[in-house]
Amino acid sequence: MMTALAPPGSRLQRVNPLVKLLAIVPPVTLAMLSNDPYLPSALALLAVLTLWIGGVSLRQLVRAVLPAAALILFFLVSYPLVIRRELVLDTPVIFSLGGLEVRWGALQAGAKAGLRIFALVTLTLVFSLTTDGAAFVRALVQQARLPYRVGFAFIAAFRFLPLIQQEVSVIRAAHRARGVDDGPGPLGLFRRVRRMAVPLLASAIRQAERAALAMDGRAFGAFPQRTWLHRAHFTYADPLFLAAFWLSVAAILWGLGQLGLLAPLVIVQRL
Amino acid sequence: MIHVTQLSIRYYSRRRPAVHDVNLQVRDGECVLLLGPSGCGKSTLALALNGLIPHSLEAELSGSVVLDGLDTQRTPLAQLTQRAGLVLQDPEAQLVTLQVEDEIAFGLENLCLPPATIHQRIGEALAAVHLSHLRHTPVWALSGGQKQRVALASLLAMRPRTLIFDEPTAHLDPRGAHMVFEQIAELRRLGQHTLILIEHRLDALMDLVDRVVVLDADGRPLLDGCPCKVFDHTNAPHLHRLGVWMPQVSLLAHRLGLRPVPFTLAGARQLLAEQRPKLARGASIARTANAAPHGPLVVRVQGLSCAYGSHVVLRDIHLDVQAGECLAIVGANGAGKTTLAKHIAGIATPPPGRVFVCGLDVAQTPAKQLMRHVGFVFQNPEHQFVTSSVADELRYSLRHAQHPPAHVEAQVQTLLARFKLERYANVNPFTLSHGEKRRLSVAAILATARDVLVLDEPTFGQDQQTGYAIMQMLRDLQREGCTIIFTTHDMTLVAEYADRVAVLQGGRLVFHDTPRELFRQGELLHRANLDMPPLRQLAEALGVGATTLEDWVQLLQPTEIAAA
Repeated sequence: MMTALAPPGSRLQRVNPLVKLLAIVPPVTLAMLSNDPYLPSALALLAVLTLWIGGVSLRQLVRAVLPAAALILFFLVSYPLVIRRELVLDTPVIFSLGGLEVRWGALQAGAKAGLRIFALVTLTLVFSLTTDGAAFVRALVQQARLPYRVGFAFIAAFRFLPLIQQEVSVIRAAHRARGVDDGPGPLGLFRRVRRMAVPLLASAIRQAERAALAMDGRAFGAFPQRTWLHRAHFTYADPLFLAAFWLSVAAILWGLGQLGLLAPLVIVQRL
Repeated sequence: MIHVTQLSIRYYSRRRPAVHDVNLQVRDGECVLLLGPSGCGKSTLALALNGLIPHSLEAELSGSVVLDGLDTQRTPLAQLTQRAGLVLQDPEAQLVTLQVEDEIAFGLENLCLPPATIHQRIGEALAAVHLSHLRHTPVWALSGGQKQRVALASLLAMRPRTLIFDEPTAHLDPRGAHMVFEQIAELRRLGQHTLILIEHRLDALMDLVDRVVVLDADGRPLLDGCPCKVFDHTNAPHLHRLGVWMPQVSLLAHRLGLRPVPFTLAGARQLLAEQRPKLARGASIARTANAAPHGPLVVRVQGLSCAYGSHVVLRDIHLDVQAGECLAIVGANGAGKTTLAKHIAGIATPPPGRVFVCGLDVAQTPAKQLMRHVGFVFQNPEHQFVTSSVADELRYSLRHAQHPPAHVEAQVQTLLARFKLERYANVNPFTLSHGEKRRLSVAAILATARDVLVLDEPTFGQDQQTGYAIMQMLRDLQREGCTIIFTTHDMTLVAEYADRVAVLQGGRLVFHDTPRELFRQGELLHRANLDMPPLRQLAEALGVGATTLEDWVQLLQPTEIAAA
């Protein structure tokens, strides 16, 4: 989780986390509502370019983006199998395999769905791949007025999730060593959860208690406010980034519109 | 100054007080060692000394603690944190941020200090623990010893006069522990702090200690005085019965009747030089004891490698273990000890043809069959409990081993008696004490596995007496023909109990021979983050060949041994 971050000091890391979050809201909304393959493709391309220019190495980029790209393929293959036939009856058959007819409309719908998700993932990466958890919490507390106790609950979660995960795997192994076999299926899962609940809860409570002591022992919560070594700032780079990113999104909309490739957004259609 | 007056503390969930009528005065600049059997309330007292009890952890408290003139019950915690800081034992749980710099800033930010001051104090605190170069390192990338130093730095930055250490090395390998001890020694030398230590690796610390305070099992103060008095012959049987950790050199003196009882290595060395002038340099005991048995091979590891993703944990391990042998696996944290042990017990599945136990390929033997030959006891006994009563734990195992139902009950009774758990047959395992939990976990595994018992740090968190009892129990099993394999950081255990020792370093097996041979190789010990057991260090200093307590006894009382 933490190793996947872009190098500190890279361009996108320096942009305020809140600004990054704000920046991706309009394109994420557009991608969700899009009803053609072109808009999500263009937005995904914008996201990938932003990441690349922003200082994420190509290798890291490929590793983060590739699993999402696999989703496009998945939708492309699965849509012809599951789509309601009457929806695509008026489109030409591309090929048929036994009883299965693969129609142009089904492929198109699959591509649209896959690309939509791909765009959502890559746009979110602009934020998540370049934002340090602590910096985000700092910005939330200092600039978005989140109470600092709540902010530190997030940081504690960042720290403890991996520990709890590790504990779960140790307890599972320990139970297997006793010959526990809860069997497959939901019933097995239920039995396993019930068996693991006590030891897991016992150790989670102990961990939490120790962490609370460590925090209280360093005067956590002593005053209604606290100071911060690092101030979360807005710098000149923030509005520049926001403007450039949003202008690019607008340019994409305008360009696609000019080319006649933009289908009406989903809400517009419903109205 | 710390004044503790008639302090009693009871947790609301317990009937009996954890700490009972404690009176204690600690002068500025003093270094006090707090001892007692496990569960005696040492940690509770530590939490009360800096006000975390009752401010953070609620408990019924009577009497008073006055810290630098401030009554801890009436002073806000924020003020107390600038008087006394507490280093806890678990390095994972006490670091609360994601980066070293943030970690040290944390307390100062809570005190609302201006950033410029925070900046300066971080620099000073990191310099004090010699970690300035790690200022911008993420916390997860630190070693255990470094984490404890960061925890200390985060307290030092708040400039407390008193520092309390609650088993700061319990989770660390010997090198990590050494790192922490050196740090404490340095604080002691600088003399600006009052130090209160709870620790059981005593031999490395005794040079620093002015005073020892011992609590008994009920949390009542038992002894308070200079180490030379506390560890002397009159108190020894008492402390021993309580399970209080004592310096190895003091144990040696008790055993041999040496007076005055030494408590540091230097003291023991001087004493032996004066009182046993005949102890010739180069004297060595006959090498018959501790020789490895020559049974058939029961465990064979042939070219085992293991990696998690790109992280290689084990590299081409070859290791044979003979039936009836006791093998210790040692090495730094992360060297692969537990992983190797898990592969031998089939907890982790090795590739086919690499690990054989009792002639069975671990990779290709069904778990149920393998379980009858080899069992694995996890470091935390709680992890392995799967039922809600002690007797049920044993029944569960026995049924799994497909014992005929008629035998199960008889077998349960035998095991309960053997592991001294009869009284607790219907008790929930989670409510047992540390030592009892460990005994139960061994009993439950032993109920199915007959040939090889693999244990991950069997004495972790135990006091001296329960730890000793566990090792004696393992030795008895070994005498009955069981093969014992255990991982540990405690070199005294290795010296006293292991026939052979396997040293791992960065996933490679770099040594496999007797403990005696290992402790002769200083360079290897250093490379593998290990150290010598205190009594071996004493032998080195005097130039004689002895490793264990028994060696010393043989060396110094040859006639009595012969007579016996």
